[in-house]
Amino acid sequence: MGGLLARRLLTLPFVLLGAALLIFLLPRLAGVDTVRSVLRSRVAEAEPDPEAAARVTAELGLDRPWPEQFLRWLGHALQGDLGISFATRTPIAPQLGAALEVSAVLSALALLVAGIVGIPLGVWAARRRGGLADRAVTGFSVVGTAVPEFVLAPVLVLLLAIAVPLFPATGWGTPAQAVLPVLTLAAFPTALAAQLTRAETLDALGRPHVTVALAKGIGGSQLIWRHGARLALTGVTALSGMFFAGLLGGAVVVEVAFGIPGLGRLLYDAVIGQDLPMLQSGLLAVVGVAVLAGVGAELLQLALDPVARSEVGA
Amino acid sequence: MRRALVLVVVLVLVAAFLPVDALTTDLANRFAAPSLAHPLGTDNLGRDVLARLVAGTRLSVWFTLVAVAACAVVGTLLGLLAGYAGGVAGQALQRVLDVLVAIPTVIVGLVVAAVREPGLSTLLIAVLLTGWTPFARLAYQLTVRERAREYVEGAVALGAGPGRITLVHILPNAIRPLTAHACLRFANVLLSLAGLSFLGLGAQPPTPEWGAMLAEGRQYLFAAPQLVLVPAVAVVGVALLVTALGRRLESRWSSR
Repeated sequence: MGGLLARRLLTLPFVLLGAALLIFLLPRLAGVDTVRSVLRSRVAEAEPDPEAAARVTAELGLDRPWPEQFLRWLGHALQGDLGISFATRTPIAPQLGAALEVSAVLSALALLVAGIVGIPLGVWAARRRGGLADRAVTGFSVVGTAVPEFVLAPVLVLLLAIAVPLFPATGWGTPAQAVLPVLTLAAFPTALAAQLTRAETLDALGRPHVTVALAKGIGGSQLIWRHGARLALTGVTALSGMFFAGLLGGAVVVEVAFGIPGLGRLLYDAVIGQDLPMLQSGLLAVVGVAVLAGVGAELLQLALDPVARSEVGA
Repeated sequence: MRRALVLVVVLVLVAAFLPVDALTTDLANRFAAPSLAHPLGTDNLGRDVLARLVAGTRLSVWFTLVAVAACAVVGTLLGLLAGYAGGVAGQALQRVLDVLVAIPTVIVGLVVAAVREPGLSTLLIAVLLTGWTPFARLAYQLTVRERAREYVEGAVALGAGPGRITLVHILPNAIRPLTAHACLRFANVLLSLAGLSFLGLGAQPPTPEWGAMLAEGRQYLFAAPQLVLVPAVAVVGVALLVTALGRRLESRWSSR
């Protein structure tokens, strides 16, 4: 086997290269005439002048074979040169950087809420298995995973911005403006974390090492947190892909619904505005973040789980 | 509980076949309160909200059924074959699934909408691109488990080929967990459909679709909150219901 991390690292270059190639080929799949789009983004002219078209073609290297174009494009992207947006006619990299920062803050806050609320809820439910608390938490996690962001966003706005005007309904920048989007985005990971933690803790509490700990007289909270919850947490991090997909998909909806200038909003605007260079750059960023998140989760799991550590060593 | 479940499933199916007029506008009668003529009131163009809800149910149910069925067939076949072949094919499938699990349908929907026009066919492609993976994973795991059984060994000894063994011998033994899983996926696909339509990438106005209705109603949240609440309750209600059904089937069929 060689361990999860080793396997992932081994396939990583292929995944990255494949994703980059797909992203590069996107305008061709879309049947977009790049030269025309570029000219139209520079001068508002219906029929481009053939001389200018030939100049742009040579300038962008579009007369070269496509593998060469791909390598050149990838090289530029790796050096931070992502080209120029069709829509704003300004370099993409700074816009993308700003959007990434906003989305990172939004997702980190949502994950923080999920960790602080979801994991203790799951442990609590597992300790009172079958009781009222357990049923309440299970009910919450079922509803929380079934209510999508596009429903939760307007409902929260209705409740906490219109019926009881506590928080602003749109915008980004002040802490008050962050409350509704973070709550909306946090619902799914919180419910998922509670559900997984409950299941994993119950499973862990049935293991021999917990019985041994009980026999040694370790009881109560110490047992739950040191032996049960720790094992549960490794199960939660193992499903990080689900969390990541949930957060990323949710971020698009949340950022559009609340008017937040993040990565999801950038991708959405790029699609609506047919801004292909922006879309390609945004997708490259998504792939990069996905890979980082995956590797980060593996490392976290190694830190938490001695079994996984021994697998890597073997 | 089971009777309630059956009742609501029947209601949804009836709604799926009920003829309604969801498109006629009546500008003199905008934002009307619920009445006998319009049990759930009217929307910003004076259209009957109940009629749009029913028509939206029809669209959602049919679309989701088609999409889930297609995902189930593609995913199951790939999972069966990779699981039976094992080795490189199995590893390759698992690596592909590892990558795809981290890509949300919304992002795929955005990309497909950039390549094509936004619309229902775009939506179907986006759902298919991500939706086959859970079926493939489950079918793969089930096949790996079943492959070790004696009846497969017997079939091999009798000279059956891989196609016959997977489809005639292994698939019937894996069909129940896969069916239960399809119910769970139904809710997921339903929400993807509504979510992408909410973003304007799926069903286009004036098509009555729950997500599109939500997006439209959001602009009148202050004056007419029911325009958001009605489709919200519908989409969450159906999603919860189908999930409950799937869980029930799963726990019943996995215990045997």
